[in-house]
Amino acid sequence: MIAPYFILYIAFGLFPVLFSLGISFTSWDGIGNAAFVGLENYKRVFVQDEFFYKSLWNTAILLGISAPIQIILGLLTAVFLKDFFRRMKNGLQLINFLPYITTPVAIGIIFQLMFDWKSGVVNAVLELLHMDSVYWLGNAWASRAVVIIMIVWKNYGYMMIMFLSGLAAIPDELYEAAKIDGAKWWSRFTRITIPMLRPIFVFVIITSVINGFKLFDEPQLLFSSASQPIGGPDRAVMTVVMRYYESAFRSFEFGYGSALAYCLFMVIAAITLLLFCGIRGRKEK
Amino acid sequence: MKKKKGLYKVPVYLYMLVLAVCALLPFYMMIVMGTHYSEDLYTGVKLTFGKYFKENFQTVMRQDFPLYYWNSIVVAVCHVTGALIVSTLTGYAFAKFEFKGKKVLFAVIIATLAIPEQLGLIGYVLEMRWLGLNNTLFPMIVFGMASAFGVFWMRQYIESSVPDEIIESGRVDGCKEFGIFFRLILPIIRPALITLFLLFFLWSWNNYMMPLVMISKEELYTIPLSIAKISSEYRTDYAARILALSMGTIPILILFAFGSKHLIRGLVAGSVKG
Repeated sequence: MIAPYFILYIAFGLFPVLFSLGISFTSWDGIGNAAFVGLENYKRVFVQDEFFYKSLWNTAILLGISAPIQIILGLLTAVFLKDFFRRMKNGLQLINFLPYITTPVAIGIIFQLMFDWKSGVVNAVLELLHMDSVYWLGNAWASRAVVIIMIVWKNYGYMMIMFLSGLAAIPDELYEAAKIDGAKWWSRFTRITIPMLRPIFVFVIITSVINGFKLFDEPQLLFSSASQPIGGPDRAVMTVVMRYYESAFRSFEFGYGSALAYCLFMVIAAITLLLFCGIRGRKEK
Repeated sequence: MKKKKGLYKVPVYLYMLVLAVCALLPFYMMIVMGTHYSEDLYTGVKLTFGKYFKENFQTVMRQDFPLYYWNSIVVAVCHVTGALIVSTLTGYAFAKFEFKGKKVLFAVIIATLAIPEQLGLIGYVLEMRWLGLNNTLFPMIVFGMASAFGVFWMRQYIESSVPDEIIESGRVDGCKEFGIFFRLILPIIRPALITLFLLFFLWSWNNYMMPLVMISKEELYTIPLSIAKISSEYRTDYAARILALSMGTIPILILFAFGSKHLIRGLVAGSVKG
Protein backbone atom coordinates (compact mmCIF):
# COMPACT_ATOMS: atom_id res chain seq x y z
CA MET A 1 0.00 0.00 0.00
CA ILE A 2 2.81 2.37 0.69
CA ALA A 3 4.85 1.07 -2.22
CA PRO A 4 3.47 3.51 -4.84
CA TYR A 5 4.45 6.44 -2.69
CA PHE A 6 7.99 5.32 -2.12
CA ILE A 7 8.52 4.21 -5.71
CA LEU A 8 7.29 7.58 -6.99
CA TYR A 9 9.27 9.44 -4.39
CA ILE A 10 12.53 7.62 -5.03
CA ALA A 11 12.21 7.87 -8.81
CA PHE A 12 11.06 11.46 -9.13
CA GLY A 13 11.91 13.04 -5.81
CA LEU A 14 14.94 11.50 -4.20
CA PHE A 15 16.85 10.63 -7.36
CA PRO A 16 16.82 14.20 -8.78
CA VAL A 17 17.84 15.58 -5.40
CA LEU A 18 20.83 13.25 -5.09
CA PHE A 19 21.67 13.68 -8.75
CA SER A 20 21.72 17.46 -8.26
CA LEU A 21 24.06 16.97 -5.32
CA GLY A 22 26.40 15.10 -7.63
CA ILE A 23 26.13 17.77 -10.30
CA SER A 24 26.95 20.45 -7.75
CA PHE A 25 30.53 19.10 -7.60
CA THR A 26 30.96 19.47 -11.35
CA SER A 27 31.14 22.12 -13.96
CA TRP A 28 28.50 21.16 -16.50
CA ASP A 29 26.08 22.67 -18.95
CA GLY A 30 24.02 19.48 -19.11
CA ILE A 31 25.03 18.59 -22.67
CA GLY A 32 28.81 18.14 -22.94
CA ASN A 33 31.02 16.27 -20.53
CA ALA A 34 30.84 17.02 -16.85
CA ALA A 35 34.15 18.02 -15.28
CA PHE A 36 34.64 17.23 -11.61
CA VAL A 37 35.64 20.38 -9.76
CA GLY A 38 35.23 19.33 -6.13
CA LEU A 39 34.04 22.10 -3.87
CA GLU A 40 34.88 24.82 -6.39
CA ASN A 41 31.21 25.73 -6.93
CA TYR A 42 30.55 26.07 -3.22
CA LYS A 43 33.61 28.22 -2.84
CA ARG A 44 32.32 30.42 -5.61
CA VAL A 45 28.93 30.75 -3.90
CA PHE A 46 30.37 31.75 -0.57
CA VAL A 47 33.48 33.65 -1.58
CA GLN A 48 33.06 35.16 -5.03
CA ASP A 49 29.39 35.51 -5.78
CA GLU A 50 28.30 38.84 -4.37
CA PHE A 51 24.87 38.22 -5.85
CA PHE A 52 24.38 35.25 -3.54
CA TYR A 53 24.71 37.37 -0.42
CA LYS A 54 22.70 40.13 -1.98
CA SER A 55 19.89 37.76 -2.93
CA LEU A 56 20.00 36.14 0.51
CA TRP A 57 19.76 39.55 2.12
CA ASN A 58 16.88 40.56 -0.19
CA THR A 59 15.02 37.36 0.56
CA ALA A 60 15.56 37.84 4.29
CA ILE A 61 14.20 41.40 4.13
CA LEU A 62 11.14 40.41 2.10
CA LEU A 63 10.48 37.45 4.36
CA GLY A 64 11.21 39.28 7.60
CA ILE A 65 8.73 42.03 6.86
CA SER A 66 6.00 40.12 5.07
CA ALA A 67 5.76 37.07 7.34
CA PRO A 68 4.80 38.89 10.57
CA ILE A 69 2.30 41.08 8.72
CA GLN A 70 0.58 38.20 6.99
CA ILE A 71 0.46 36.14 10.18
CA ILE A 72 -1.07 39.00 12.17
CA LEU A 73 -3.59 39.84 9.45
CA GLY A 74 -4.50 36.17 9.13
CA LEU A 75 -4.94 35.78 12.88
CA LEU A 76 -7.03 38.93 13.30
CA THR A 77 -9.23 38.07 10.35
CA ALA A 78 -9.81 34.55 11.63
CA VAL A 79 -10.62 35.70 15.15
CA PHE A 80 -12.93 38.47 13.96
CA LEU A 81 -14.69 36.10 11.59
CA LYS A 82 -15.30 33.65 14.36
CA ASP A 83 -16.42 36.18 16.97
CA PHE A 84 -18.30 38.80 15.00
CA PHE A 85 -19.35 37.52 11.61
CA ARG A 86 -21.06 34.22 12.22
CA ARG A 87 -23.71 34.87 9.60
CA MET A 88 -21.49 36.11 6.77
CA LYS A 89 -18.64 33.79 7.60
CA ASN A 90 -18.62 31.66 4.46
CA GLY A 91 -18.76 34.59 2.06
CA LEU A 92 -16.07 36.54 3.87
CA GLN A 93 -13.87 33.47 4.07
CA LEU A 94 -14.04 33.08 0.32
CA ILE A 95 -13.33 36.77 -0.32
CA ASN A 96 -10.27 36.74 1.90
CA PHE A 97 -9.11 33.48 0.38
CA LEU A 98 -9.47 34.70 -3.22
CA PRO A 99 -5.98 36.23 -3.41
CA TYR A 100 -4.41 32.90 -2.50
CA ILE A 101 -6.04 31.09 -5.39
CA THR A 102 -5.12 33.66 -8.03
CA THR A 103 -2.37 32.66 -10.45
CA PRO A 104 0.94 34.33 -9.58
CA VAL A 105 1.22 35.32 -13.23
CA ALA A 106 -1.97 37.33 -12.87
CA ILE A 107 -0.79 38.88 -9.62
CA GLY A 108 2.44 39.95 -11.31
CA ILE A 109 0.77 41.67 -14.24
CA ILE A 110 -2.05 43.23 -12.24
CA PHE A 111 0.32 44.67 -9.64
CA GLN A 112 2.59 45.95 -12.38
CA LEU A 113 -0.31 47.94 -13.77
CA MET A 114 -1.72 48.98 -10.40
CA PHE A 115 1.63 50.32 -9.28
CA ASP A 116 2.41 51.89 -12.62
CA TRP A 117 4.01 55.29 -12.21
CA LYS A 118 1.62 57.23 -14.41
CA SER A 119 -1.54 55.25 -14.87
CA GLY A 120 -1.63 53.02 -11.79
CA VAL A 121 -4.51 53.09 -9.38
CA VAL A 122 -2.23 53.35 -6.35
CA ASN A 123 -0.67 56.62 -7.40
CA ALA A 124 -4.10 57.93 -8.36
CA VAL A 125 -5.26 57.28 -4.80
CA LEU A 126 -2.15 58.97 -3.40
CA GLU A 127 -2.89 61.99 -5.56
CA LEU A 128 -6.43 62.11 -4.27
CA LEU A 129 -4.97 62.26 -0.77
CA HIS A 130 -2.66 65.08 -1.91
CA MET A 131 0.46 62.99 -1.50
CA ASP A 132 3.36 62.69 -3.88
CA SER A 133 3.15 59.85 -6.33
CA VAL A 134 5.86 57.25 -6.00
CA TYR A 135 7.92 55.72 -8.79
CA TRP A 136 7.14 52.30 -7.35
CA LEU A 137 8.89 50.02 -9.77
CA GLY A 138 11.89 52.23 -10.37
CA ASN A 139 13.22 52.51 -6.88
CA ALA A 140 14.83 49.79 -4.80
CA TRP A 141 12.91 50.12 -1.54
CA ALA A 142 9.63 51.01 -3.22
CA SER A 143 9.80 47.89 -5.36
CA ARG A 144 10.56 45.84 -2.27
CA ALA A 145 7.48 47.35 -0.71
CA VAL A 146 5.42 46.32 -3.74
CA VAL A 147 6.70 42.75 -3.53
CA ILE A 148 5.92 42.66 0.20
CA ILE A 149 2.40 43.91 -0.47
CA MET A 150 2.00 41.23 -3.14
CA ILE A 151 3.12 38.45 -0.82
CA VAL A 152 1.03 39.62 2.10
CA TRP A 153 -1.98 40.11 -0.15
CA LYS A 154 -1.61 36.63 -1.52
CA ASN A 155 -0.90 34.77 1.71
CA TYR A 156 -2.93 36.27 4.55
CA GLY A 157 -6.00 34.34 3.41
CA TYR A 158 -4.12 31.07 3.73
CA MET A 159 -2.99 32.07 7.21
CA MET A 160 -6.59 32.93 8.04
CA ILE A 161 -7.71 29.43 7.04
CA MET A 162 -4.98 27.85 9.16
CA PHE A 163 -5.98 29.93 12.18
CA LEU A 164 -9.66 29.22 11.60
CA SER A 165 -8.94 25.52 11.70
CA GLY A 166 -7.03 26.03 14.94
CA LEU A 167 -9.79 28.14 16.46
CA ALA A 168 -12.35 25.46 15.74
CA ALA A 169 -10.37 23.06 17.87
CA ILE A 170 -10.60 25.28 20.98
CA PRO A 171 -13.48 24.06 23.17
CA ASP A 172 -16.28 26.63 23.59
CA GLU A 173 -16.47 25.84 27.30
CA LEU A 174 -13.24 27.73 27.89
CA TYR A 175 -14.76 30.91 26.50
CA GLU A 176 -18.03 30.37 28.35
CA ALA A 177 -16.18 29.95 31.63
CA ALA A 178 -14.12 33.05 30.97
CA LYS A 179 -17.22 35.06 30.16
CA ILE A 180 -18.83 33.96 33.41
CA ASP A 181 -15.70 35.07 35.23
CA GLY A 182 -16.14 38.46 33.57
CA ALA A 183 -13.22 38.37 31.17
CA LYS A 184 -13.39 40.99 28.42
CA TRP A 185 -12.92 40.17 24.75
CA TRP A 186 -9.30 41.33 24.78
CA SER A 187 -8.27 39.24 27.75
CA ARG A 188 -10.09 36.23 26.35
CA PHE A 189 -8.09 36.81 23.17
CA THR A 190 -4.72 37.06 24.90
CA ARG A 191 -5.29 34.52 27.65
CA ILE A 192 -7.19 31.79 25.82
CA THR A 193 -7.00 32.20 22.08
CA ILE A 194 -3.30 32.90 21.68
CA PRO A 195 -1.99 30.22 24.04
CA MET A 196 -4.41 27.65 22.62
CA LEU A 197 -3.30 28.43 19.08
CA ARG A 198 0.30 27.63 19.92
CA PRO A 199 0.63 24.58 17.64
CA ILE A 200 -0.83 26.55 14.74
CA PHE A 201 1.65 29.36 15.38
CA VAL A 202 4.52 26.90 15.25
CA PHE A 203 3.23 25.43 12.02
CA VAL A 204 2.49 28.79 10.41
CA ILE A 205 5.81 30.40 11.36
CA ILE A 206 7.87 27.48 10.14
CA THR A 207 5.98 27.12 6.87
CA SER A 208 6.20 30.85 6.18
CA VAL A 209 9.94 30.80 6.71
CA ILE A 210 10.40 27.79 4.44
CA ASN A 211 8.09 29.18 1.78
CA GLY A 212 9.56 32.66 2.15
CA PHE A 213 13.01 31.43 1.22
CA LYS A 214 11.57 29.74 -1.85
CA LEU A 215 10.15 33.05 -3.10
CA PHE A 216 10.34 33.25 -6.88
CA ASP A 217 7.06 33.76 -8.77
CA GLU A 218 5.99 37.15 -7.47
CA PRO A 219 9.19 39.20 -7.78
CA GLN A 220 10.11 37.44 -11.01
CA LEU A 221 6.75 38.20 -12.59
CA LEU A 222 6.51 41.74 -11.27
CA PHE A 223 9.50 42.64 -13.40
CA SER A 224 8.70 40.33 -16.25
CA SER A 225 8.34 42.77 -19.13
CA ALA A 226 11.32 43.14 -21.38
CA SER A 227 11.99 46.75 -20.52
CA GLN A 228 12.61 45.99 -16.86
CA PRO A 229 15.85 44.87 -15.27
CA ILE A 230 16.12 41.34 -13.83
CA GLY A 231 15.36 41.46 -10.14
CA GLY A 232 14.08 45.01 -10.27
CA PRO A 233 15.97 48.25 -9.87
CA ASP A 234 19.42 47.65 -8.42
CA ARG A 235 18.40 43.95 -8.15
CA ALA A 236 16.61 44.89 -4.98
CA VAL A 237 14.05 42.10 -5.18
CA MET A 238 16.26 39.40 -6.63
CA THR A 239 15.70 36.38 -4.38
CA VAL A 240 17.94 33.36 -4.00
CA VAL A 241 15.70 31.23 -6.17
CA MET A 242 15.73 33.92 -8.87
CA ARG A 243 19.52 33.89 -8.78
CA TYR A 244 19.36 30.10 -9.00
CA TYR A 245 17.00 30.23 -11.96
CA GLU A 246 19.25 32.72 -13.70
CA SER A 247 22.43 30.66 -13.34
CA ALA A 248 20.87 27.27 -13.96
CA PHE A 249 18.32 27.93 -16.67
CA ARG A 250 19.51 31.12 -18.34
CA SER A 251 23.30 30.65 -18.27
CA PHE A 252 23.00 26.83 -18.13
CA GLU A 253 25.58 26.50 -15.38
CA PHE A 254 24.00 23.36 -13.97
CA GLY A 255 26.86 22.64 -11.58
CA TYR A 256 26.87 26.10 -10.10
CA GLY A 257 23.08 26.25 -9.99
CA SER A 258 22.91 22.99 -8.04
CA ALA A 259 25.47 24.29 -5.57
CA LEU A 260 23.36 27.42 -5.10
CA ALA A 261 20.28 25.28 -4.46
CA TYR A 262 22.15 23.25 -1.85
CA CYS A 263 23.39 26.39 -0.14
CA LEU A 264 19.84 27.68 0.02
CA PHE A 265 18.72 24.36 1.43
CA MET A 266 21.40 24.54 4.12
CA VAL A 267 20.24 28.02 5.07
CA ILE A 268 16.62 26.89 5.28
CA ALA A 269 17.54 23.79 7.27
CA ALA A 270 19.66 25.79 9.71
CA ILE A 271 16.97 28.38 10.32
CA THR A 272 14.22 25.78 10.68
CA LEU A 273 16.35 23.91 13.19
CA LEU A 274 17.05 27.09 15.15
CA LEU A 275 13.33 27.88 15.20
CA PHE A 276 12.51 24.38 16.41
CA CYS A 277 15.08 24.57 19.18
CA GLY A 278 13.91 28.04 20.15
CA ILE A 279 10.33 26.88 20.38
CA ARG A 280 11.18 23.75 22.31
CA GLY A 281 13.43 25.69 24.68
CA ARG A 282 10.58 28.01 25.50
CA LYS A 283 8.20 25.16 26.05
CA GLU A 284 10.47 23.68 28.70
CA LYS A 285 10.57 26.92 30.62
CA MET B 1 -24.56 48.44 27.93
CA LYS B 2 -25.94 47.48 24.56
CA LYS B 3 -24.79 50.74 22.98
CA LYS B 4 -21.28 50.24 24.26
CA LYS B 5 -21.16 46.75 22.83
CA GLY B 6 -22.15 48.03 19.39
CA LEU B 7 -19.58 50.82 19.43
CA TYR B 8 -16.59 48.64 19.98
CA LYS B 9 -17.60 46.56 17.02
CA VAL B 10 -17.13 49.49 14.65
CA PRO B 11 -13.35 49.14 14.21
CA VAL B 12 -13.82 45.44 13.59
CA TYR B 13 -16.35 46.06 10.82
CA LEU B 14 -14.14 48.76 9.35
CA TYR B 15 -11.15 46.42 9.37
CA MET B 16 -13.15 43.73 7.61
CA LEU B 17 -14.46 46.17 5.03
CA VAL B 18 -11.04 47.60 4.20
CA LEU B 19 -9.55 44.14 3.97
CA ALA B 20 -12.34 42.87 1.74
CA VAL B 21 -11.87 45.85 -0.58
CA CYS B 22 -8.11 45.23 -0.69
CA ALA B 23 -8.70 41.56 -1.42
CA LEU B 24 -11.20 42.23 -4.17
CA LEU B 25 -9.75 45.35 -5.82
CA PRO B 26 -6.95 43.66 -7.81
CA PHE B 27 -9.46 41.00 -8.81
CA TYR B 28 -11.92 43.59 -10.01
CA MET B 29 -9.16 45.47 -11.82
CA MET B 30 -8.20 42.27 -13.58
CA ILE B 31 -11.70 41.73 -14.93
CA VAL B 32 -12.10 45.38 -15.89
CA MET B 33 -8.72 45.75 -17.56
CA GLY B 34 -9.41 42.78 -19.77
CA THR B 35 -12.18 44.72 -21.48
CA HIS B 36 -10.13 47.72 -22.54
CA TYR B 37 -7.95 48.56 -25.49
CA SER B 38 -4.40 47.64 -24.49
CA GLU B 39 -2.79 51.04 -25.02
CA ASP B 40 -5.54 52.73 -23.03
CA LEU B 41 -4.41 50.88 -19.92
CA TYR B 42 -1.46 53.23 -19.69
CA THR B 43 -3.39 56.44 -20.13
CA GLY B 44 -5.22 56.44 -16.85
CA VAL B 45 -6.96 54.41 -14.20
CA LYS B 46 -9.73 52.19 -15.50
CA LEU B 47 -12.47 51.41 -13.04
CA THR B 48 -15.34 50.75 -15.42
CA PHE B 49 -15.78 48.20 -18.15
CA GLY B 50 -14.45 49.03 -21.60
CA LYS B 51 -15.71 48.08 -25.02
CA TYR B 52 -12.88 45.93 -26.25
CA PHE B 53 -13.91 42.65 -24.69
CA LYS B 54 -14.78 41.09 -28.05
CA GLU B 55 -11.54 42.12 -29.76
CA ASN B 56 -9.44 40.98 -26.82
CA PHE B 57 -11.31 37.72 -26.70
CA GLN B 58 -10.60 37.15 -30.38
CA THR B 59 -6.92 37.94 -29.86
CA VAL B 60 -6.76 35.41 -27.06
CA MET B 61 -8.53 32.76 -29.11
CA ARG B 62 -6.23 33.27 -32.08
CA GLN B 63 -3.27 32.25 -29.92
CA ASP B 64 -4.21 28.61 -29.40
CA PHE B 65 -5.39 29.53 -25.95
CA PRO B 66 -7.94 26.68 -25.90
CA LEU B 67 -5.03 24.28 -26.39
CA TYR B 68 -3.10 25.74 -23.43
CA TYR B 69 -6.28 25.57 -21.41
CA TRP B 70 -6.62 21.92 -22.31
CA ASN B 71 -2.99 21.24 -21.37
CA SER B 72 -3.52 22.84 -17.98
CA ILE B 73 -6.63 20.74 -17.44
CA VAL B 74 -4.90 17.49 -18.45
CA VAL B 75 -1.95 18.19 -16.17
CA ALA B 76 -4.10 19.22 -13.22
CA VAL B 77 -6.57 16.35 -13.50
CA CYS B 78 -3.95 13.63 -13.94
CA HIS B 79 -1.71 15.06 -11.24
CA VAL B 80 -4.53 15.45 -8.74
CA THR B 81 -5.94 11.98 -9.39
CA GLY B 82 -2.55 10.36 -8.91
CA ALA B 83 -1.62 12.43 -5.90
CA LEU B 84 -4.95 11.75 -4.21
CA ILE B 85 -4.71 7.98 -4.72
CA VAL B 86 -1.12 7.84 -3.48
CA SER B 87 -1.74 10.11 -0.48
CA THR B 88 -4.88 8.30 0.60
CA LEU B 89 -3.42 4.80 0.33
CA THR B 90 -0.23 5.76 2.10
CA GLY B 91 -2.01 7.82 4.75
CA TYR B 92 -4.42 4.95 5.40
CA ALA B 93 -1.56 2.50 5.76
CA PHE B 94 0.26 4.71 8.25
CA ALA B 95 -2.90 5.42 10.21
CA LYS B 96 -4.42 1.97 10.54
CA PHE B 97 -1.86 -0.74 9.84
CA GLU B 98 1.15 -2.02 11.72
CA PHE B 99 4.26 -2.88 9.78
CA LYS B 100 7.99 -2.99 10.19
CA GLY B 101 9.77 0.36 10.25
CA LYS B 102 6.52 2.30 10.28
CA LYS B 103 7.75 5.01 12.62
CA VAL B 104 11.03 5.52 10.82
CA LEU B 105 9.39 5.66 7.41
CA PHE B 106 6.87 8.21 8.58
CA ALA B 107 9.61 10.35 10.12
CA VAL B 108 11.44 10.20 6.78
CA ILE B 109 8.34 11.42 4.96
CA ILE B 110 7.92 14.31 7.39
CA ALA B 111 11.58 15.25 7.05
CA THR B 112 11.19 15.56 3.28
CA LEU B 113 8.64 18.32 3.89
CA ALA B 114 11.54 20.66 4.62
CA ILE B 115 13.23 20.04 1.26
CA PRO B 116 12.46 22.83 -1.19
CA GLU B 117 11.25 21.47 -4.53
CA GLN B 118 13.85 23.57 -6.33
CA LEU B 119 16.62 21.48 -4.80
CA GLY B 120 16.25 18.63 -7.24
CA LEU B 121 15.00 20.67 -10.17
CA ILE B 122 18.17 20.49 -12.25
CA GLY B 123 18.47 16.76 -11.67
CA TYR B 124 14.80 16.34 -12.54
CA VAL B 125 15.14 18.25 -15.81
CA LEU B 126 18.12 16.10 -16.83
CA GLU B 127 16.41 12.90 -15.72
CA MET B 128 13.40 13.73 -17.88
CA ARG B 129 15.67 14.56 -20.80
CA TRP B 130 17.33 11.15 -20.58
CA LEU B 131 14.01 9.40 -20.35
CA GLY B 132 12.94 11.34 -23.43
CA LEU B 133 10.05 12.80 -21.47
CA ASN B 134 11.00 16.43 -21.60
CA ASN B 135 8.59 18.24 -23.87
CA THR B 136 5.74 16.05 -22.80
CA LEU B 137 3.22 16.82 -20.10
CA PHE B 138 4.46 13.88 -18.02
CA PRO B 139 7.06 15.72 -15.90
CA MET B 140 4.49 18.22 -14.69
CA ILE B 141 1.95 15.51 -13.93
CA VAL B 142 4.25 13.31 -11.91
CA PHE B 143 6.23 15.99 -10.07
CA GLY B 144 5.10 16.13 -6.47
CA MET B 145 2.67 13.24 -6.91
CA ALA B 146 4.32 11.56 -3.94
CA SER B 147 3.30 14.42 -1.69
CA ALA B 148 4.58 14.34 1.87
CA PHE B 149 2.00 16.96 2.75
CA GLY B 150 -0.77 14.77 1.34
CA VAL B 151 0.32 11.70 3.28
CA PHE B 152 0.72 13.63 6.51
CA TRP B 153 -2.70 15.17 6.03
CA MET B 154 -4.48 11.92 5.23
CA ARG B 155 -2.87 10.10 8.12
CA GLN B 156 -3.98 12.79 10.57
CA TYR B 157 -7.47 12.79 9.21
CA ILE B 158 -7.95 9.02 9.05
CA GLU B 159 -6.45 8.50 12.47
CA SER B 160 -8.76 11.02 14.10
CA SER B 161 -11.99 10.34 12.23
CA VAL B 162 -12.08 6.66 11.29
CA PRO B 163 -12.73 4.42 14.31
CA ASP B 164 -10.98 1.03 14.33
CA GLU B 165 -14.34 -0.64 15.03
CA ILE B 166 -15.60 0.20 11.56
CA ILE B 167 -12.70 -1.58 9.93
CA GLU B 168 -13.08 -4.51 12.33
CA SER B 169 -16.79 -4.86 11.69
CA GLY B 170 -16.09 -4.74 7.97
CA ARG B 171 -13.68 -7.63 8.33
CA VAL B 172 -16.09 -9.61 10.49
CA ASP B 173 -18.77 -9.18 7.84
CA GLY B 174 -16.39 -10.75 5.34
CA CYS B 175 -15.55 -7.63 3.43
CA LYS B 176 -12.27 -7.78 1.50
CA GLU B 177 -9.64 -5.15 2.33
CA PHE B 178 -10.36 -3.30 -0.90
CA GLY B 179 -14.05 -3.39 -0.16
CA ILE B 180 -13.41 -1.95 3.28
CA PHE B 181 -11.34 0.82 1.78
CA PHE B 182 -13.81 1.79 -0.91
CA ARG B 183 -17.10 1.23 0.89
CA LEU B 184 -16.27 2.16 4.46
CA ILE B 185 -13.24 4.41 4.54
CA LEU B 186 -13.73 6.59 1.47
CA PRO B 187 -17.20 7.89 2.43
CA ILE B 188 -15.92 8.89 5.88
CA ILE B 189 -12.90 10.77 4.62
CA ARG B 190 -14.74 12.64 1.89
CA PRO B 191 -14.12 16.08 3.45
CA ALA B 192 -10.39 15.42 3.56
CA LEU B 193 -10.45 14.23 -0.04
CA ILE B 194 -12.20 17.40 -1.14
CA THR B 195 -9.73 19.56 0.77
CA LEU B 196 -6.73 17.82 -0.73
CA PHE B 197 -8.32 17.83 -4.18
CA LEU B 198 -8.76 21.60 -4.05
CA LEU B 199 -5.24 22.29 -2.80
CA PHE B 200 -3.53 19.91 -5.24
CA PHE B 201 -5.57 21.30 -8.12
CA LEU B 202 -4.73 24.86 -7.16
CA TRP B 203 -1.00 24.21 -6.85
CA SER B 204 -0.86 22.34 -10.12
CA TRP B 205 -2.96 24.86 -12.01
CA ASN B 206 -0.89 27.84 -10.85
CA ASN B 207 2.52 26.19 -11.11
CA TYR B 208 4.82 28.47 -13.00
CA MET B 209 8.39 27.36 -12.44
CA MET B 210 8.12 23.71 -13.45
CA PRO B 211 6.67 24.31 -16.94
CA LEU B 212 8.98 27.30 -17.29
CA VAL B 213 12.11 25.17 -17.06
CA MET B 214 10.65 21.99 -18.57
CA ILE B 215 8.67 22.99 -21.63
CA SER B 216 10.05 24.59 -24.74
CA LYS B 217 7.46 23.41 -27.26
CA GLU B 218 4.67 25.90 -27.61
CA GLU B 219 1.94 23.32 -28.11
CA LEU B 220 2.63 22.01 -24.60
CA TYR B 221 2.38 25.35 -22.82
CA THR B 222 0.12 25.59 -19.81
CA ILE B 223 -1.85 28.72 -19.02
CA PRO B 224 0.74 30.46 -16.78
CA LEU B 225 3.38 30.05 -19.50
CA SER B 226 1.19 31.03 -22.39
CA ILE B 227 0.28 34.44 -21.00
CA ALA B 228 3.62 36.03 -21.87
CA LYS B 229 3.15 34.88 -25.45
CA ILE B 230 -0.20 36.46 -26.12
CA SER B 231 0.15 39.41 -28.42
CA SER B 232 -1.57 40.94 -31.40
CA GLU B 233 0.31 41.51 -34.60
CA TYR B 234 3.28 43.80 -34.03
CA ARG B 235 2.57 44.58 -30.39
CA THR B 236 2.25 43.03 -26.96
CA ASP B 237 -1.35 43.12 -25.98
CA TYR B 238 -1.65 43.55 -22.23
CA ALA B 239 -5.41 43.78 -22.22
CA ALA B 240 -5.69 40.46 -24.03
CA ARG B 241 -3.23 38.88 -21.60
CA ILE B 242 -5.26 40.08 -18.68
CA LEU B 243 -8.43 38.75 -20.24
CA ALA B 244 -6.69 35.40 -20.68
CA LEU B 245 -5.72 35.50 -17.01
CA SER B 246 -9.29 36.16 -15.97
CA MET B 247 -10.34 33.20 -18.08
CA GLY B 248 -7.61 31.10 -16.52
CA THR B 249 -8.83 31.97 -13.04
CA ILE B 250 -12.44 31.00 -13.67
CA PRO B 251 -12.12 27.21 -13.15
CA ILE B 252 -10.31 27.68 -9.85
CA LEU B 253 -12.85 30.25 -8.78
CA ILE B 254 -15.77 27.91 -9.50
CA LEU B 255 -14.08 25.02 -7.71
CA PHE B 256 -13.42 27.09 -4.61
CA ALA B 257 -16.80 28.78 -4.60
CA PHE B 258 -18.38 25.35 -4.31
CA GLY B 259 -15.65 23.80 -2.24
CA SER B 260 -14.60 26.48 0.22
CA LYS B 261 -17.05 25.27 2.86
CA HIS B 262 -15.62 21.75 2.58
CA LEU B 263 -12.09 23.10 2.45
CA ILE B 264 -12.45 24.76 5.83
CA ARG B 265 -14.33 21.82 7.31
CA GLY B 266 -11.69 19.41 6.04
CA LEU B 267 -8.88 21.57 7.36
CA VAL B 268 -10.57 21.92 10.71
CA ALA B 269 -11.12 18.21 11.13
CA GLY B 270 -7.61 17.24 10.15
CA SER B 271 -6.07 20.29 11.72
CA VAL B 272 -2.48 20.24 12.76
CA LYS B 273 -2.64 19.11 16.32
CA GLY B 274 0.97 18.33 17.02
